[in-house]
Amino acid sequence: MTYFISGGAKNGKSTLAQDLAVALAGGGKHYYVATMISTGSEDDDRIRRHIADRDSMGFETVECFRNIMDCLKIADSGGVFLVDSVTALIQNSLFPVEKNYEMDLPAANRCADELVEFAHTVRHAVFVSDYIYSDAEAFSESTEMYRKCLADIDRRLAKVCDTVIEVSAGQFIIHKGDLRI
Amino acid sequence: MILIIGGAYQGKLTFAKETLGITDGDVYTCDTGEIDFSKRCIYKIEEFTARHDDPIGYFESHREDWQDSILILQDIFCGVVPMGAENRAWRQKTGRLAQYLSKEAQQVSRIFCGLEQRLK
Repeated sequence: MTYFISGGAKNGKSTLAQDLAVALAGGGKHYYVATMISTGSEDDDRIRRHIADRDSMGFETVECFRNIMDCLKIADSGGVFLVDSVTALIQNSLFPVEKNYEMDLPAANRCADELVEFAHTVRHAVFVSDYIYSDAEAFSESTEMYRKCLADIDRRLAKVCDTVIEVSAGQFIIHKGDLRI
Repeated sequence: MILIIGGAYQGKLTFAKETLGITDGDVYTCDTGEIDFSKRCIYKIEEFTARHDDPIGYFESHREDWQDSILILQDIFCGVVPMGAENRAWRQKTGRLAQYLSKEAQQVSRIFCGLEQRLK
């Protein structure tokens, strides 16, 4: 089963995603795909706390910052993968820290293609993204490209995933499929 | 009238094309403070509201022109309140117009990641 979850910040997406992943695993292998690139000691501390939280839920942490298919070099494709978040993977690819955040559109497209391939390849996956499309602002060209790239992969994942859920204030809007495991 | 709303890049126009039989020739894309209602589908109404002081008044005065139209509006009113007064006004005008059009519509569809959520 594959799930795609999106919605606003701090609305309960990650909690739902973790619960789903644990339930899908039914005691079997479940991986947390860690997508955030640390930018300093504050991030390091936060990442350590998150890993400790997830250890108690039985997650194995697999680091992946860009190309998600790389996970399968070390993880079993028959397991459950919690990918939190699609947003971070696209951001890391589109604005690579190694290239001083200079926009790399081909890398973002490659990242998106791999996410779709990953959804088709693994047995179970839960993808978490962020809904950032309803503002009354004229954004810079690079921010607009970021919104467009993320929206494109959101739509592709929503198309291929079995279930699509929007989380709003902790409530679930089911756009496709259902929440039963 | 059918109202289609949703965020940027969510597939609103694609939805109109795939499910309502709209072709490129049927689409008027707003980029001024006027709308050409002779086209069946009016797209990017938020670009019109950015350039008109009284969008609801404008739609009321052209009421007979859009009764059978497909109207597409980006929900720019859901996000952060903008710092600039002009964008704040744009956000409010657009939100109020969305309410007005939604009341008038036979069907309201919200598009989320390419999927339709029927609101009315």
